[in-house]
Amino acid sequence: MTNRTILLVEDNPDDEALTLRAFKKSNILNEVVVMRDGAEALAYLFAGDGTPRPALILLDLNLPKVGGLEVLRKMRADKRTRLIPVVVLTSSKLDEDVLGSYRNGANAYVRKPVKYSDFAEAVRALGAFWLLMNEPVPGIGPESD
Amino acid sequence: VTQLTPLADDTFVALLEAVPDAMVCIAADGRIALVNAQAERLFGYERTELIGQPVEILVPDAARAGHAGHRAGYVADPRPRPMGAGLLLAGRRRDASTFTAEISLSAIDTDEGTLVAAAIRDASAWPGVKDPERSGQSTESFIYLVSHDLRAPLRALSGYSEILLDEYGGILGEEGRGYAERIVAASEHMSRLIDYLLQHSRVSRAELHVQPVDLGGEAARIAAELQRREPDRRICFTIEKPVQVLADRRLISTVLQNLLDNAWKFTSGRGDASIEFGTARSEDAAVCYYVRDNGAGFDSAYAGKLFQPFQRLHSARDFPGTGTGLASARQIVERHGGRVWAEGAVGAGATFYFTVDGKESA
Repeated sequence: MTNRTILLVEDNPDDEALTLRAFKKSNILNEVVVMRDGAEALAYLFAGDGTPRPALILLDLNLPKVGGLEVLRKMRADKRTRLIPVVVLTSSKLDEDVLGSYRNGANAYVRKPVKYSDFAEAVRALGAFWLLMNEPVPGIGPESD
Repeated sequence: VTQLTPLADDTFVALLEAVPDAMVCIAADGRIALVNAQAERLFGYERTELIGQPVEILVPDAARAGHAGHRAGYVADPRPRPMGAGLLLAGRRRDASTFTAEISLSAIDTDEGTLVAAAIRDASAWPGVKDPERSGQSTESFIYLVSHDLRAPLRALSGYSEILLDEYGGILGEEGRGYAERIVAASEHMSRLIDYLLQHSRVSRAELHVQPVDLGGEAARIAAELQRREPDRRICFTIEKPVQVLADRRLISTVLQNLLDNAWKFTSGRGDASIEFGTARSEDAAVCYYVRDNGAGFDSAYAGKLFQPFQRLHSARDFPGTGTGLASARQIVERHGGRVWAEGAVGAGATFYFTVDGKESA
């Protein structure tokens, strides 16, 4: 069985709590690892201590220390993380953020809705699509490296 | 005025003129030894006026006193500062106006001593950069950034209220649930207000891509979409086409969208609703475009308020909305050098007119 961990990179504690609850409420029971800035996220991804790499990354853009676009760039430049699905989940709808995300290899870009029920539905749909419907990249899991 | 021979080399001069940044080379004594055409343009001087002058001529008055000290400090320990690590400073033009500049420095050893080469980029237009000359623009960038940040706490307000309703509804009781629902509704309202701020700031910063647009074709497309969304409503659309204008397609379509949305909304109570798009002549004989409906209309005493943001002439209960569609329409039309106005009477429908100049206005 491959690893199905979700990595949530989010610095806002409220967005974190609301995202985690939305997963729970939609019966997405995968382990969710939360990293609260870009540097932490990179350290987690490149730890090299046998920690399995996540099956899905939800990435905020506006992050302390290392921004989301930089995290994405670094991930895509490394063969160990190049193929992990990354969904950018952010408040921004600036053209340069959307374009920058796709240019740096984001798989999807979702703007966080303000209304919580819409937000919860977005999180549910993302989880359902990327973890259930979408065929995972072969080899992403504990034994890949 | 001395020309420094090692720098007068043709290749070097051609290179200097070819770089996209403004370049100013400063001799060890602080006098300007060489400038390129970009520097002439940026600062508004002829190069003969600059060569031999102290470089402080290009520094705003307030920073001048300290500048010589900084300069000596740099020459004593000259490390190149690449563009990315460049400093945001201010430059002073010939007419004494100032601008935000990104400046990077490097030192060149020559027979006449160390020269400092400064590459200067006008940073006034960069997002988030405060510029004394264009404070209006920096305010818009500020509004844009703040509007984004306001959405996060709003999501928390809305989210926790919905969770309260969802999981603690029984404990809250009917009155408590009512209050939580009001928090949810108020958050949504505020979210729409923030969206308007974003939209406003986006329009004011947008570059206009003016091209021929068929307003009639756009209006027909929008009308079909409205009808598709509410197929049960019977509306008689009359649309003149083609109606060619020179405008930014995306923005001018937003104007039509807002006016037609409005007409669609305010005719909702009528069984024989009709909406018309066409052209007419305004008082000064210029061509104007209009959207007319036979809906609820408005009291003409308040016609001036229609185009103000967040102003509503009808109760939210009768006709929901944020009161921002017409304000957006006005902003876009004015960016095109046109104007908007409205005619109407209570219960007798409304007509919204606009003109498009086809040229961008500041």
